Amino acid sequence: MNKIVFTLVIFLAAIAIAILVGPTPLSPEVIQLRLSRVILGIVAGGILAFCGGMLQGLFGNPLVEPYTLGSASGAALGGSIGILIFGTISPIFAFLGSLGVGFFVYTIATVEGGLLRDRLILAGVIMSFLCSSLVMMIMVMGGRELYEILYLLMGYLGVIINPANRILIMILVVISLGLVIFLYRYHRELDIISQGLETAAGLGIDIQRFSIVVFLTTSLLIGSIVSIVGAIGFVGLIIPHVSKLLFGPRHLYNLPASFILGATFLLLADTLSRTVTVYELPVGVVTSLVGVPFFIYLYKR
Amino acid sequence: MTAIEVKNIQFSYNTEDVIEDVSFTLHQGEFLGIIGPNGAGKSTILRLVCRILTPRLGSVLIFDKNITMIRRKILAQQIAFVPQETYFALNFTVEHILIMGRYPYLGVFQREGRKDIDAVEYALEQADVTKFRKRPINSLSSGERQRVVIARALAQQPKILLLDEPTSHLDLHHQFAIMELLKKLNTLGISIIIVNHDLNLASLYCQRLLLMHEGTIYADGTPKSLINEKTLRDVYGTSVKIIRHPDRDVPQIFLHPQGE
Repeated sequence: MNKIVFTLVIFLAAIAIAILVGPTPLSPEVIQLRLSRVILGIVAGGILAFCGGMLQGLFGNPLVEPYTLGSASGAALGGSIGILIFGTISPIFAFLGSLGVGFFVYTIATVEGGLLRDRLILAGVIMSFLCSSLVMMIMVMGGRELYEILYLLMGYLGVIINPANRILIMILVVISLGLVIFLYRYHRELDIISQGLETAAGLGIDIQRFSIVVFLTTSLLIGSIVSIVGAIGFVGLIIPHVSKLLFGPRHLYNLPASFILGATFLLLADTLSRTVTVYELPVGVVTSLVGVPFFIYLYKR
Repeated sequence: MTAIEVKNIQFSYNTEDVIEDVSFTLHQGEFLGIIGPNGAGKSTILRLVCRILTPRLGSVLIFDKNITMIRRKILAQQIAFVPQETYFALNFTVEHILIMGRYPYLGVFQREGRKDIDAVEYALEQADVTKFRKRPINSLSSGERQRVVIARALAQQPKILLLDEPTSHLDLHHQFAIMELLKKLNTLGISIIIVNHDLNLASLYCQRLLLMHEGTIYADGTPKSLINEKTLRDVYGTSVKIIRHPDRDVPQIFLHPQGE
C-alpha cells in the first residue's frame, strides 16, 4: 500500500517540478508551454513503459522493448522523409512510416501456419537496421535538416503545438489512452503466458490471436507516440523491470505501475534535459544517462 | 460414457507425419497410460486431444462434441493439461499460480469470486500443497513444483486430466507421491491420460495402456495383456525379462545387462 502512495507522490512531485523548474521565469505563457510538455511526457513515458511491459510479457523475453518490433524505426524513417520533403517534422509521415514497417514485419513473420513469434522479433530487429541505414542516408543527403532528424531519433517533448497539428496530436493521445485500456484487460493472459505457451494454450488462450492483437495494438501505440515526440529510448526497456521489482510479477499491478513510473521518469528526464545545459539536450540522451546508473543500483541492491 | 473419442487423426510437423491414423476412446473414469519409444508420438497425442495442436485429418470428440466446435475456455473447463516441464519465468506465489487455473471461468475484468476461491482451496488441499501457498514458486523443489502444477490443473475443475511424463526426473519419493495423487484423483471421478516412460509405474497404476510405435497404436489393452517380452522387443528393440509384481497381478520389467 505505501508503495502505491509513494509512487503516486513521486509522480505528482515530478509533475510539479516539470512545471515549476526552468531557466525562464514563470509566466502564463511559460506555464502553458510546460503544461503541454507535461501532458506529452505523461502520455509518452506511460505508454512506452506500458507497451514495454506488455511485450516483455508476451514474448517472455526481458530484452524485448517497444523498438524491437520495428515500428519506432519506421516512425523515424517516415518522419525523416517528411522532414526531407517539407523541411519540418510532420507526425502524419512518421505515423505512416511506423504503420508501414509494422505491417511489413508482420508479413515477414507470418507463414501459412500463422504468426511465428520468434520470427517477429528477428524481423523487427532486421527492419530496424534497415530503417536506421535509410535515416542515415537521408541525414547525409539532407544536410540542413540534420538537426531536426536528430531530435526525432533521440526524442523531444517540446513539440510546438500549433493549430495545424493540435487536433491530430489530441486525437492520437485520446486513441492511444483508449488502446492502453484495451490492452490492460489482458493482464491475466500475460501472467499465464509467463509459464509457457503450452500451459497458456491448455488454459484456453488462443496464442495466435492473442499475439497478433497485442503486436498490432502496441505497434499502433508506439507509432503514434514516436510520431509526436520521437524515439525516446530506454523507458520501455527498463521501467517494466523496475515496476516488477517494486510491485511483483502480477501484470494486474505492474502494468499500471509501469505507466505511472514511465511517466514520472520521463518528466524528470525532460526537466533535466532543458535545465542542465544552455542548450536543450534530446531527452533520449538524458533517459539513458540517468537511467542506466539508477537501474544498475536497483539491480545490485 | 465416452469421455474422449479420437477418430482417425493424422498430424505432421512440417512434412514428416508424426501421427498416422490413430483412433482410440477414453471412457469416463478410466486411468489410461500412453507408452512407447521416444518419437512414437505420445506427447503429440496429448496436445492434439486438448487442442494445443490441431490434427491435419480426423477429429477429436470430448463428451461427444467435436473440440473444434467448443470455445477454448469451455474446453479448458472440461480438460486440463499438465506439460512435461513448466518453466516459471516470473516468480509468482503458489496461490497465484492456482488462481490462474481459474482463467477458463473468468470473464474480462471479472474478479475471482467465492467459487473460484473454493476451487483453489480444494485443489491446494487435494494436491497437499497448502503449506506452500504463500511461497514463491521458484523456491520449491522440482517435485513440489510438479504438485503445484497438478494443483493448478485441479483448480480448473476438469473432468479429464492429461499429464505428459509427470514423474520424469523426480526422485523415488516424489514419483510415488505423484502417482498416488493421480490414483486418488481418479477414484474421485477424474478421467486420466498419462504419458509415461516408466513402464513399471505405468503397469502398476494404469488400468489400460496404449502402446505407440512410429505414430500408430501398436497395442491397446490392460498392462497384463500388453506387456510381454515379444511386444517390447518388437517395439523397443530391447530384450527384457518380465515377472509378476510381488503384491499385484501386473507385469514388471527387468533389463539384463550384456556379457553375463
